[in-house]
Amino acid sequence: MIDSVPITLARVFLKMHLRDRQAIVFSLFFPIAFMLAFGLSSGSQDPIELGVVNNSQSGLAAEFIETLNTNPLFSVTEGSEHELRTALIEGDSKMVLILPAEFRDTDTGSQLRLLVDKAQMRQLGLILPMFEKALVTVERELRNTEPLFSLTVEDVKARSQGYIDFLIPGLLAFTLMQISISGSGFNLVEYRRKGILKRLFVTPLRPRDFILGLVLARLLLCLVQLSVLLGVAVVFLDVTVVGNLAALYLVIVLGTVIFLSMGFCLGSLAKTQQAILALGNLFIFPQMFLSGIFFPIDSLPKLVQPLAAVLPLSFVANALREIVTNGSSLLEILPELAGIAVWLVISFVLATRLFVWKEVAS
Amino acid sequence: MPIIETRELSKKYPKPENKAESFFAVDQLSLVVEEGEIFGILGPNGAGKTTTLEMIEGVTDIDGGEAFVDGINVQTHPYAVKQIIGVQLQANEYFDKLSLTELPHLFCALYHRSVEPESLLVKVNLEEKARAKPADLSGGQKQRFSIACALANQPKVLFLDEPTTGLDPQAKHNLWDLARELNDSGITIVLTTHNMDEAETLCQRIAIMDHGRIVAQDSPQNLIHRHAPEPPEAPLQGNMEDVFLALTGTGLRD
Repeated sequence: MIDSVPITLARVFLKMHLRDRQAIVFSLFFPIAFMLAFGLSSGSQDPIELGVVNNSQSGLAAEFIETLNTNPLFSVTEGSEHELRTALIEGDSKMVLILPAEFRDTDTGSQLRLLVDKAQMRQLGLILPMFEKALVTVERELRNTEPLFSLTVEDVKARSQGYIDFLIPGLLAFTLMQISISGSGFNLVEYRRKGILKRLFVTPLRPRDFILGLVLARLLLCLVQLSVLLGVAVVFLDVTVVGNLAALYLVIVLGTVIFLSMGFCLGSLAKTQQAILALGNLFIFPQMFLSGIFFPIDSLPKLVQPLAAVLPLSFVANALREIVTNGSSLLEILPELAGIAVWLVISFVLATRLFVWKEVAS
Repeated sequence: MPIIETRELSKKYPKPENKAESFFAVDQLSLVVEEGEIFGILGPNGAGKTTTLEMIEGVTDIDGGEAFVDGINVQTHPYAVKQIIGVQLQANEYFDKLSLTELPHLFCALYHRSVEPESLLVKVNLEEKARAKPADLSGGQKQRFSIACALANQPKVLFLDEPTTGLDPQAKHNLWDLARELNDSGITIVLTTHNMDEAETLCQRIAIMDHGRIVAQDSPQNLIHRHAPEPPEAPLQGNMEDVFLALTGTGLRD
């Protein structure tokens, strides 16, 4: 009688998780692999493949191509119009620029033709302005004119912020949700299906001890796994945690409790394995795309933004991001904390209503 | 002295074919189990055997009447009842990532008891499997393991729901021996069964159920005396099970 029932149960749940290779791969290695894949590849952008057809044999044309070649934005391939058209159609090049025969002196303007694949319109929308800007630069260099003005972009934040700095807190929040929902929701249905809950029900185990045991186990699991994720990000991806670690862990604990409660709700509602899969996906997928995990909520359609902003995962992800990348204090993230508090109350009340030990067990 | 008593115990369920109507799965059932006996509930599928057990165990809500275990009202003091009963359910799956030592340890902890898990495994003759997982066990071993877990709180009453269904004759006889041993050590056993031999040779008293009601309740000898048709003039020499056991032996095949 050294240890009490919730702690014994928590140990049992942790032991089972550690022996479940599939669960570990899914909840630990998958996010790490994902993070590394993004973090290690998000350096400089690949140059745009540009085909050039030189119909003018003038020195100006050669100089023009030479200047384009030195521009890191483009990777230039010369060839006949026929060859390059085929390359464009096959997707081997993004655009083909055709220099006309009369392209020979800097005083008369000449018409350049640009072949594109309209199917890639979205991408072209980003490339074309860059291309036009590059052409203007080339023109200035060839004419030896100084630009009237130039623009230098200065970062007001002292640190450099890449996509990875945005992604890491989001990934932390997403992993937190996964671990929690699978722990209380999916496992609950699985234990019931096997009749394990009924077997536990005929012992004097109190439902609050069962819940407490499961919550303790998942909380510890979340803290350890998120620490590992964060550790990998700091060591291998050069991510810095600017804010206070205690604040960070407080948000993690609160978030875990929200999603564990929601898991208990889902697990109590779903009677079958298929039902919990459907319910779980219905809960997880919208939040995965709308809660600012992989891209900011601002980039969503205006109509969806107000809804996205009040999702529980949005508050958790935003709070984590504010702390990790901006170094915000708890006071500065009061709006997020308020949102978290509201969801905490909602999910807790719902869970206590829906989770009836006798009904869940039998 | 009665250790279990039910008075007009009833359970209503919606009809499977028409959810609006309901039927009595257990209908005003009154029975008494005396302390120290092996009591069998016999009956066809759907007679209400499992529902009766589950109402006494507290798993299923009681819709009418009352049930007492060792004088304790099941409905008003479910946790006091849970302390003194051991239960083997029909579906006997456990956390499959835990070993045969870790699971009884968990059950002992749920009762705040510090029993050595090994001693429970010894009782059911599974000490060699201490490091195995439940999934590695044969049908008979699973049932014995399930009984080991049910002994974690040294219960006064042990409920076995169809303990020998699906077992080969060797495992079945082995389980009967185990039940007798436990009964000799003072545990009252209540079991449900379809198996007539089990009812006749293992149980001291039997209740025969049909359609949620008890149709007869007595010792096997008295029931045979009262209800069985006259035996044929030239009695058969034993039965198929005797033949099977004579040819294949009584050694366990787990």
